[in-house]
Amino acid sequence: MMLRTALLALVFPCAALATPGETVRDTVENHILPRVETFAQEAQALSDAATAECTDLRPAFADAFDAWISMSHLRFGPTETDERAFALAFWPDTRGVIPRALGGLIEAEDPAASDPDSFAQVSIAARGFYALEFLLYDAALSTRGSDTYRCALVQAIATDIARLAEAIRADWDPGYARTLMDPDEQGRYRTDQEALRELYKALDAGLQFTADTRLGRPLGSYDRPRPNRAEAHRSGRSLHHVTLSLMALRDLAAHLSRDHPQAAREADAGFARALDRAAMLDDPVFAGVAEPAPRLRVETLQQSVQDIRDTVAATLAPALGVDAGFNALDGD
Amino acid sequence: MTTRRSFLATLAAGAALPATGWAGLGAPVLLAAGRWPDGGFRIAGMDAGGGITFTTPLPERGHAAAAHPHRPLAVAFARRPGTFALVIDCTTGTVQARLTPPSGHHFYGHGTFSADDTLLFTTENAYELGQGRIGIWDTRDWSRIGAVDSGGTGPHDMALMPDGKSLVVANGGIETHPDSGRAKLNLATMRPNLTYLGLDGEILDRVELSDDLHRNSIRHLALAPDGTVAFAMQWQGDAAETPPLLGLHRRGAAPRLLAAPGPLHARLRGYAGSVALSQGAALVAITSPRGGVAHLFDIETGAFLHAHPMDDICGLAAAPDALVCTSGTGAVARITRDGAIHLKRHDCNWDNHLVPGPRA
Repeated sequence: MMLRTALLALVFPCAALATPGETVRDTVENHILPRVETFAQEAQALSDAATAECTDLRPAFADAFDAWISMSHLRFGPTETDERAFALAFWPDTRGVIPRALGGLIEAEDPAASDPDSFAQVSIAARGFYALEFLLYDAALSTRGSDTYRCALVQAIATDIARLAEAIRADWDPGYARTLMDPDEQGRYRTDQEALRELYKALDAGLQFTADTRLGRPLGSYDRPRPNRAEAHRSGRSLHHVTLSLMALRDLAAHLSRDHPQAAREADAGFARALDRAAMLDDPVFAGVAEPAPRLRVETLQQSVQDIRDTVAATLAPALGVDAGFNALDGD
Repeated sequence: MTTRRSFLATLAAGAALPATGWAGLGAPVLLAAGRWPDGGFRIAGMDAGGGITFTTPLPERGHAAAAHPHRPLAVAFARRPGTFALVIDCTTGTVQARLTPPSGHHFYGHGTFSADDTLLFTTENAYELGQGRIGIWDTRDWSRIGAVDSGGTGPHDMALMPDGKSLVVANGGIETHPDSGRAKLNLATMRPNLTYLGLDGEILDRVELSDDLHRNSIRHLALAPDGTVAFAMQWQGDAAETPPLLGLHRRGAAPRLLAAPGPLHARLRGYAGSVALSQGAALVAITSPRGGVAHLFDIETGAFLHAHPMDDICGLAAAPDALVCTSGTGAVARITRDGAIHLKRHDCNWDNHLVPGPRA
């Protein structure tokens, strides 16, 4: 209920005070920084929990992973430095590199697990949430090798996640936040409009990732559905990630559309539809994609995410003045 | 593989002589795909002044085209992950044949003819394997002959080398699967390269950039008569880094990377959409729709010459006496060493590429 009040407040702001710079400031301060901060805290809690004991790590893993997914659409600036986002989230793993990389470390009892600096140099596939998920949930990997070494590896990954999260937080606050909020002719963003375009692209790319990858990969094709490709299915989080990402993107859209009530209403209605469909799905890992009726429900959810993308492209992008053109927002 | 290779080698060696020259009355100088106001997609021919000579509807969004070396024909390719290629008579705009890749493959949107015009090569994704392929077609009846390994993932642009005996392929390094639309699935581990292939598919040479540039997707190509390959790149890494987006390579030598001075180069926003060499190959240029600008370089010295701004610019090709560019806003302009000269504006959105038309 509180969230709804907050959203309504954002949807119907005092339009007379509207400026692109204020939209950027509001989005940075009230959408981005809280998420970055929460993620850093939850990642530290995960690291602390892992250091205390290697068993029963699943609750801390879930909280930290939730916090990451809720900011995983912010793929520019601090997440991209030193490939931090890929070190946190090596997914999709199209060639099955994660279990091989982990298996290699376990078989060799690689000493990198006992030193954070060394661990930051191991294969990117053996780092981050998706590797940790294998160690905590995969039947084969969660029992492979010695308990002692596996525990050291779990601790190394958790510590590494916390270090990455803290590095992202430290870069955002206040450095990159200022980069976005105070455009500069010599800086990364020359105008408020360019900063807005970056934020809009995060919305668009986030919607695209959820539709095409989080939902598209398990859907596969009608003749060849791919339930085993669902994101984080070992921990039962596939649908949960779709929901978390939609909630985060809904909040981002609300901030970006604060000066444009019509675009705000249309986007919010689209998110409400998609979240309703996600809530009714009752298929946490998209296991039903191989059966006609359950498959149709996943396809409908995917369509509703694509619809939001079309809606914001048709209404919000022109309202913000970021519909840069046929080729500029494309890429090939 | 050996059997197919020797078969291809025979085919490739068979017709060394060019077909009879064709006097190109009415043939377009340039070809480009685009979106029309009715929402439909078309391929269009243009004369040297940017006037449209024909348009032909495409089933879906197009990308680039390959012009026949001797006859007024062109093949218009689907944009990835599309599965159509139309053989078009450029004097009338009529469709003569439709090519469909085998199941499990899609086109990337580029291709080229062999010098003797007997073969058409197409860049393709064997997407269940995540491997790049070069599809080979018999131009007599447009039947499929087979496919060879492209030498990497995500082969995008390709060109016939001036010797007529080898191909150069830009393996962009990015894995995609049609189930996930156009989503990039392997950015953390991508390894783009420039691969030189014999016409039988033998890998003659493979060039990678340094490890720190493994996220610089090599996508588009232009060739100088002396075999210098100009390649345009798209940076998939941290936007805070601004690596060069244009390279020049000659087999046997190390690639040379070119970029404008700092802030000018940063304007390209990590994305070069097309590359072309002027006829005579004194100039090489890249376009960036994200930056709304074209950058010109002296190919001999590698020196940056000029930046020419143009909103949503992307298509770029050599025309007889200049470079010509197109934009997503429908504009056609000539680019010379000194500046950009507006030619025409059409009521359409020109897509990524402009390619030279069939030679007369």
